[in-house]
Amino acid sequence: MKQTRQIAILYKVIFVCLTVVPVMAGLIYALLYSFGIIGIMNNGFTGKYWIAVLLSDMFWVSLGYSLYIALVSITISLVFALSISLFIKKRNITISYLFYIPLCFPAVVMAFYSFQLWSKSGWISRIIYQIGGIKEISSFPDLTNDTLGFSIVFTSVLMIVPFFTILFSNLYHSEKLHELKKVAQNLGASSFQILIKITIPVLLKRSWFTICLFIIFVMSSYEIPLLLGKQNPQMISVLTMQKLQRFNLNDIPQAYTIASLYVMITIFVLTLLSIGGIKKRFITKRRAYA
Amino acid sequence: MLKKVYISLGVSVVLFPLFLLLILSFGKQWSYPHIIPKEFSLVHWISVFQLNSTLPITILKSLVISLSVATIVTAVSFFSAKHVSYSVHRKKWLFLAYIPYVCSPVIFAATLQFYFTYTDLSGTMLGIIIAQLFITYPFGVIIFSNFWNDNIKSIEQLSTTLGSSPVQTFQKVVFPLSKSVLLLCFFQVFLISWFEYGLTTLIGVGKVKTLTISVFQYIQEANLFLAALASCLLVIPPMLLLFINKRFVFTNQQIG
Amino acid sequence: MKKLFCSLFIVLFFACGKEKKENAFDIAEASWKEITAEAKGKTVNLMMWTGDPKINAYINTYLKPRVKEKYNIDLMVSSGQGNTIVQTLMTEIQASKTESDLDLVWINGETFYQLQQINGLYGPWTSKLPNATYIDFDNTFIGIDFQQPVEGYELPWGNVQMTLIYDSDKVKKPPMTRSELLDFVRENPGTFTWDNHFTGLTFLKALLIDIAGGKESLNGDFNEEKYKKYSAELWAYLKALKPYLWKKGEVFPEAVAPMHQLFASGELWFTMSNNDAEVDNKIAEGIFSASARAYVPDYGTIQNSHYMGIPQIAPNKAAAMVVANEMISIEAQFHKQDPTVWGDGTVLDLKKLPNTWQKKFEEQPTRKYAPKRSEISKKALQEIDPEYMIRLAEDFRKNMIE
Repeated sequence: MKQTRQIAILYKVIFVCLTVVPVMAGLIYALLYSFGIIGIMNNGFTGKYWIAVLLSDMFWVSLGYSLYIALVSITISLVFALSISLFIKKRNITISYLFYIPLCFPAVVMAFYSFQLWSKSGWISRIIYQIGGIKEISSFPDLTNDTLGFSIVFTSVLMIVPFFTILFSNLYHSEKLHELKKVAQNLGASSFQILIKITIPVLLKRSWFTICLFIIFVMSSYEIPLLLGKQNPQMISVLTMQKLQRFNLNDIPQAYTIASLYVMITIFVLTLLSIGGIKKRFITKRRAYA
Repeated sequence: MLKKVYISLGVSVVLFPLFLLLILSFGKQWSYPHIIPKEFSLVHWISVFQLNSTLPITILKSLVISLSVATIVTAVSFFSAKHVSYSVHRKKWLFLAYIPYVCSPVIFAATLQFYFTYTDLSGTMLGIIIAQLFITYPFGVIIFSNFWNDNIKSIEQLSTTLGSSPVQTFQKVVFPLSKSVLLLCFFQVFLISWFEYGLTTLIGVGKVKTLTISVFQYIQEANLFLAALASCLLVIPPMLLLFINKRFVFTNQQIG
Repeated sequence: MKKLFCSLFIVLFFACGKEKKENAFDIAEASWKEITAEAKGKTVNLMMWTGDPKINAYINTYLKPRVKEKYNIDLMVSSGQGNTIVQTLMTEIQASKTESDLDLVWINGETFYQLQQINGLYGPWTSKLPNATYIDFDNTFIGIDFQQPVEGYELPWGNVQMTLIYDSDKVKKPPMTRSELLDFVRENPGTFTWDNHFTGLTFLKALLIDIAGGKESLNGDFNEEKYKKYSAELWAYLKALKPYLWKKGEVFPEAVAPMHQLFASGELWFTMSNNDAEVDNKIAEGIFSASARAYVPDYGTIQNSHYMGIPQIAPNKAAAMVVANEMISIEAQFHKQDPTVWGDGTVLDLKKLPNTWQKKFEEQPTRKYAPKRSEISKKALQEIDPEYMIRLAEDFRKNMIE
């Protein structure tokens, strides 16, 4: 019995080492740097970098823009993933393989592909030109490096849809939605009512935490907006790296300020989510019993 | 019939990126408004393999790193997840795993580089493996935390009640049940490690070259055709891996 | 539990105990003979930008075998641009490392300036190299880097001049002055831009120098008054251009590579390059169409050199010096200047070379799609103080992007 306890402790130690320690170590480093305490270009404690970041529009605009891109991408992805997973209820190996193929594309390759597809001189523009839809290259709309982030959203959707399709079709089975549907049908519900009142709410409710995680994921993405985005507004990772790696070494503390702010905001949002998560789960469970 | 149409539509949407990239990788001069490049040649493929005479070694190194990371993470996070999931503080533990899971890897890397340099781990394979553990281990725990649910717990208890030892319970009961989720985790972690660029370059200081690092430079280059080729080099190996293993990965997937 | 946490921290950070190698060899005092002896059998880790296949081929198929054969030195290439080099060395200094991961770094003025700010470079060392006697240090485009004398802290390796590149099928008469450029973009909107990185800034610097009165008008240390006066004029000019630029000047290509891609596909009619030989290289690779041409407008473009530096804490300084010496050998420089190899301008003073080599250099075939080096160098501008670039980059964001 003592041995099992020791093993349990060992695994928890490993857990802490590989999750809490690196995050905390990184955060501490970033914080010390941002307050001028470490860093070879710094000369002692100062709050000026924090004031500069907090008072400038740059950080808040970037945060807002990242949130906008994430919300739009996730909403569109959910619509697609729900439709596909409800359309294909029975899966065979070929279809599963199909879902997994997009997972083999790293973000940078997907972004490169989107650029070749959607830029003014891209593949789609060439097709439209050939069939006579446009007379010259400049008539094709700006779909890359545009303010609305069309191609960023497109690329994110390509990468997210397979994940959620797999998730939803797994949930469809594990939540026994098929049987639930039959019960509802027997009680006289129309297919549309079942879809709106049962299937979609159950799937979304069971996956809402994952959805929130993906929103943070998309907000943090780097390679995709780097290639397909604009210089203003910029997504948060791009902004940080630009401050970190450009010509002015005195910008580095600001980069660490943004980095630590972002990590802290992430932790804060996750805290809210997991508190909410406990309550929500309690409610769904109670409902299931009722 | 209609279903077939939808499926072929799906297939083309999914495979079109690879198709376009492959075509471009053989191309030369692709000016507007040509739909495909003017000329086709093998020259880019030949030049990449000639210039990188060490390419086989690079691939081997990448495989060693990715396989080690995937193996370690799958094994360790499988059991960690059990202790986390069965703990009274399950939610709190998982919360801790979610933080590195959602953090932006480039930002994470920038804040950790100092420690790796300090411990002389930068520029070594071990350093890269450790750094990649930081982003993949939490992922593994999260995947497995769904597997260790009440259902598995009661099956385990049942098996113990019926008189089997912990080892027997694991070998005969838990392991067979967990096969597909283990494979899933292994494959996904392998992919994360295989594609990891930002963290790996910073910690590897360019000394340890993975395939992704070697081909990544082409993607950021002016040569569109080499970039397309590099993308193919990155994408095809995991696709093949998945294809070969598809029977193992996708059967009984609903569990977990 | 607390104890566990503490021990974990300790294990993580100190597990890999540091072994300090005692090195009795004092490189500052050593003769070249002793340096070559010390260099034998060592590995040199060179960090450089590896974004050009021709440059990579030169290193891998020419330089690497040479140093291996002659000195048994293994040359390893890590890929990293200026910012990666600065970040790596900064972190190493901060972690009080005694041995860097890098032995030799390929840099230019902006990186040189940043590395000098953090005392990241070893020096002076270049006068130790026997081949350094051939270098044209008196040339202000070689001996002075961004208005900073190199003073033995970096070794010139190649010399290039920025050119604008255009498609001669679409542009019959490329704009030669600022006002011609404005007229041109008005007539052909959306076909011209510059990138939001190093190359684009180099273009802006040339415009700023032109506004300030041309050649040498901004030489010397950064001058706040001059900057304010002339940059205001520059922003006014650029704002006049803005609506007619690519994507109405609301966004700029993130780096020169995507700009080349836009040019290759025909979306842009112009691109630019810090390397005057690039247009020939890109046509040979089949990226640009054969109608691409390089030119230098009348207001001139910046000519600069790129250099080799040795980090302050490089573990194999002797071997790094031997490799660097090989890089500036007459043969290596001659081979590098061949347009079919790389086309990078030599930093050697041809007058100092033996007659046979002088002749060889003079008779070397030149590039086809860019004007001769001697021709464009008449319009060459010197790099200005790095502070100008930092300010331009910042104000470009403020005035043009935000």
